[in-house]
Amino acid sequence: MTLNSVVETDFPEEFIEEMEKTDDVLPKKIDANPENVEKGLAKLVLTLIELIRKLLEKQAMRRVDADSLSEEEIERVGETLMKLENKMKELKQIFGLKDEELNLNLGPLGDLM
Amino acid sequence: MILYTYGIIDSSDQINGAIYGLEGACVYNIPYCDIGAVVSELTAPIPNATESSVLAHEEVIEKLMEHFTVLPVKFHTVFGERDGVLSMMQSYYKDFKNNLDRLRNKVEFGIKVIWPSDKIKKHIINTCRKSNEKVSVPDDSSNKRFIRKKFEKYKLNEEFEKKANKFINAMDTFFGKFAAEKKLEKLKTENLLLDAVYLVEKNNQENFKEAFRHIKSAHKGFKFLFSGLWPPYNFVILPKNSDLLKDSVQEDLFDKAIQHQDLVGADKI
Repeated sequence: MTLNSVVETDFPEEFIEEMEKTDDVLPKKIDANPENVEKGLAKLVLTLIELIRKLLEKQAMRRVDADSLSEEEIERVGETLMKLENKMKELKQIFGLKDEELNLNLGPLGDLM
Repeated sequence: MILYTYGIIDSSDQINGAIYGLEGACVYNIPYCDIGAVVSELTAPIPNATESSVLAHEEVIEKLMEHFTVLPVKFHTVFGERDGVLSMMQSYYKDFKNNLDRLRNKVEFGIKVIWPSDKIKKHIINTCRKSNEKVSVPDDSSNKRFIRKKFEKYKLNEEFEKKANKFINAMDTFFGKFAAEKKLEKLKTENLLLDAVYLVEKNNQENFKEAFRHIKSAHKGFKFLFSGLWPPYNFVILPKNSDLLKDSVQEDLFDKAIQHQDLVGADKI
């Protein structure tokens, strides 16, 4: 071989490890078949709920950061987010789904979350 | 007979000197107007990408790069007959020409940077604790404690991203001076601060390499990977909305070849 291209690094194992992490842990397509259709559907629905939950949480954090929530509102938001998180944990457990599975590959746009 | 395609070149002339590709077959140019598709003949389809077949593909492209501007075709792009190649050339001719003009005398370099994310996070946490900023929510209920915990995590991530942007901007400003185009991906993992590809004029490649050496020596504690020069795998642009792509088996002809690049690079590592 007379390749001109070179890869220079003092830490090859660490880069391989990081690149492996970025390799598709997510399927490019939704894998739905008669045997797993329930889980596939749950995965899709829970992914969307998780996206909304994260958006809600982020918005709440922005408002806390901006000091625009009263003590009472913080109390209510805290209760809502905590219940939502607990419910999600419960549903993930029921359908045997891990956190990293709740995502969708949007092709050239990357991952949903 | 199967025609295995390596790349599109800015010439309709036959290739001087023998270049051997997959299965040791001699490669040749199929001309269309003033450009050409470089192919070799296979007796049977290649079942899977192996290290040697990917390297053979890459080697042909690199040899072509010595004499031509090359649009590297994705590994394992095959046609059943010469007419198929010509039909594809006809469909994409304008796009090929535009890309060949844009990429003339340019090569691609890859840079990956791992940063000490744990140390960075610890530093942020310590700084936040000292300044005790924004954690004034009294922890008199589980709901408020929950919010406070979430808020601390939110601020940690925010600061983490700020620091990542600061480092990336500093590096990119330096590399960017010598690059015509670039594609940067930030924090693909917590540790992988930067995964970038730069398109560099051939006569600027030494400056680019020097810039890399400078950045590397200025960032102790960071880990760097430099690769190249590559054919411009990541800089070939084809119109996504074109009907040309829909009914063609060459749908992802020039799909981002980062995996291909990694596969080739893996041998060198």
